[in-house]
Amino acid sequence: MAAAATCGTGAGSTGSMVAAGGKNNVTSFQRRGPRASGSDSSYSRLVSIAGTRPSVRNGQLLVSTGLPALDQLLGGGLAVGTVLLIEEDKYNIYSSLLFKYFLAEGIINGHTLLVASAKEDPADILQELPAPLLDDNVKKDFDEDACNHKTAESNIKMKIAWRYQLLPKMEAGPVSSSRFGHYYDASKKMPQELIEASKWHGFFSPEKSSSTLNIEPCSLTHGYIKLLQFIQNIIYEEGFDGSNPQKKQKNILRIGIQNLGSPLWGDDICCTENGNSHSLTKFLYVLRGLLRTSLSACMITMPTHLIQNKAIISRVTNLSDTVVGLESFIGSERETNPLYKDYHGLIHIRQIPRLNNLIYDVSDVKDLAFKLKKKLFTIEGHSREQCILVALTPAQ
Amino acid sequence: MGAGRGKPRALPTRPQYRASAEGGSGADPGGEAGPAWSGVGGAGDVSRPRVSGRRTGACGLLPLPPTTAPNGSSGPSHSVEWEGRSLLKALIKKAALGGEQVHILGCEVSEEEFRAGFDSSINSRLVYYDLFRDPLNWAQTGEALPGGPLGALQAMCKRTDPGPVTVALDSLSWLLLRLPCAALCQALCAMSRQHACRGGGPAAEQLCVLGLLHRELHGPGPTGALSSLAQTEVTLGGTAGQASAHILCRRPRQRPPLETLWFSVLPDLSLDLQGGPPLESQPHPDPHTPQVEPASHLTFNLHLSKREREAKDSLTLPFQFSSEKQQALLRPGPGPATSRIFYEPDAFDDLDPEDPDGDLDV
Repeated sequence: MAAAATCGTGAGSTGSMVAAGGKNNVTSFQRRGPRASGSDSSYSRLVSIAGTRPSVRNGQLLVSTGLPALDQLLGGGLAVGTVLLIEEDKYNIYSSLLFKYFLAEGIINGHTLLVASAKEDPADILQELPAPLLDDNVKKDFDEDACNHKTAESNIKMKIAWRYQLLPKMEAGPVSSSRFGHYYDASKKMPQELIEASKWHGFFSPEKSSSTLNIEPCSLTHGYIKLLQFIQNIIYEEGFDGSNPQKKQKNILRIGIQNLGSPLWGDDICCTENGNSHSLTKFLYVLRGLLRTSLSACMITMPTHLIQNKAIISRVTNLSDTVVGLESFIGSERETNPLYKDYHGLIHIRQIPRLNNLIYDVSDVKDLAFKLKKKLFTIEGHSREQCILVALTPAQ
Repeated sequence: MGAGRGKPRALPTRPQYRASAEGGSGADPGGEAGPAWSGVGGAGDVSRPRVSGRRTGACGLLPLPPTTAPNGSSGPSHSVEWEGRSLLKALIKKAALGGEQVHILGCEVSEEEFRAGFDSSINSRLVYYDLFRDPLNWAQTGEALPGGPLGALQAMCKRTDPGPVTVALDSLSWLLLRLPCAALCQALCAMSRQHACRGGGPAAEQLCVLGLLHRELHGPGPTGALSSLAQTEVTLGGTAGQASAHILCRRPRQRPPLETLWFSVLPDLSLDLQGGPPLESQPHPDPHTPQVEPASHLTFNLHLSKREREAKDSLTLPFQFSSEKQQALLRPGPGPATSRIFYEPDAFDDLDPEDPDGDLDV
């Protein structure tokens, strides 16, 4: 007789069969769970890591990139264990802003940060992070922006192209109850106490790699070697790869690498065409291996407009998981183009990974433009037809 | 903008700006920040295009490429090179008059030639490192800087005292031809950082690096790499005897403003700014794309005449149901006269009204 009451909570969910002569709902089906370990870690599977959520498509663990609009374009967020490569715009204004949003999101969620740069000291970068917006303020600002936008368009009724009214609006308004993805005010700095309360590691290339030794053509540049060792040490010591199972609550490591591939890292792919073309690709390969075996997510910004050998750019794209390119209108002829007068630049989603999946999770809107309003960075779809219709009707 | 010297000053608006000669603090103090590259030293003049210059580790690099006259201009101006060295010397003079230390690394011309044009008071203030006479130190005199050009750069940095310093590199092109570009970029960034460290406080780190670059000597790679490092980039050009400077000033969080100025360097190495292009010759317009007309290249007609517009407005669209249309549809129409189906069965059709599918071989 299965009088043992070991089934416990599992009995209700599995269709329980009443045992022969059973007085109460005791079943002989037992749920095999990880109770044998005896520690609290059996419940940690059910407790989620702060700042992450599973993807609605395939359950992949996602973190926010700091821009809810970008999260939406990438299919919910950045998958843990992958690399997001941002191709910088020409004057490195908007890409550094995205970099800061990524780090700020890590601080708000309590993730550990690893900031690597060859140009600025990581401590200085952290001082300049944008401040998070509280929910009620955000809603107010967004509504008044939306009102200004809509008054021009409210009296346009698209008579013939009525189907465009059914197109989904790309602007992701702030959802008041969202905890995955926060909005930031680019004009204010993050409060000092939040930065100090966060845990971060900085890697400043000129300090760490002081020697300029001659290296063979196909090996990694000195700066890259040092950076990889640094990342590996942090992952191992802090247990992001599960090597210290008795550690406390699991956390995500957010790695941010700025201006990778620029000459300040010692790499000359931006200077010549026939430089050390394998150093950067090797670095990305090893980095991806490190990330896949740990709970971390990485954002890299790279000045691809400076890279002379175009074959390297395609190799780098293949070695990264998600690639987003930014193109700003400053100084280009598009600045005067009336189609783009509301926007500051274009966003190109160059690659989206297929992780544990057979299909891509691509959004329907392909032409994307961004603009940096005084507080918010918004991404909108701009199709040529919509722009023509909207641009012409008020003038008539 | 004297960020290290107190409150920022308002920048004069552009027309004023072009017309003002140097000297005199003409700018009115205000709270507004503008493109920060004038207003240092004598406020309101274009003393030097240095970016809000006194900030943390500000490495204000100025590649000044002398370019040849633009194609298509006629006459003797073909042979004129828009030389950058005189502009560099003018900026050095300004710095020296402003009481800063000036260190010069001279590689391309001899020391005597470089010092020509400066008067003795300024000359005594310039610290000159000569790499022209004996760059590889074959003469084994003790005064040469060790370590080659890279060592010279690092040594220059070590010898500067804390305080505002201007370092002029007579030619970055000379250095680029002898050093790997990546190493040069790292050395330049290290200079500003080391100076900042030694200064000890935000007011003390004031290093401005001026570099001269001959644009036609290098491919797009090194020039692009150096431009991305520089905070201000001045491209020289001009037409018909009048030199112009296109200035691009990068600031970390804002859009970089592009400005064009016409200037000339007087014999005593002071800068003279002129407003507007010269009147004698037509300046060649930039190859500017004309205003894009969004309604061109379309396959439908967007400009309607009045009659067409009236006709369009009065049209009822098929999916829009007004009440009359609804009534018309609900009411049975005037018989089958409006629509009819005419069907003539041919030999193979087997019409069986009870079983219409009888002829199918299913």
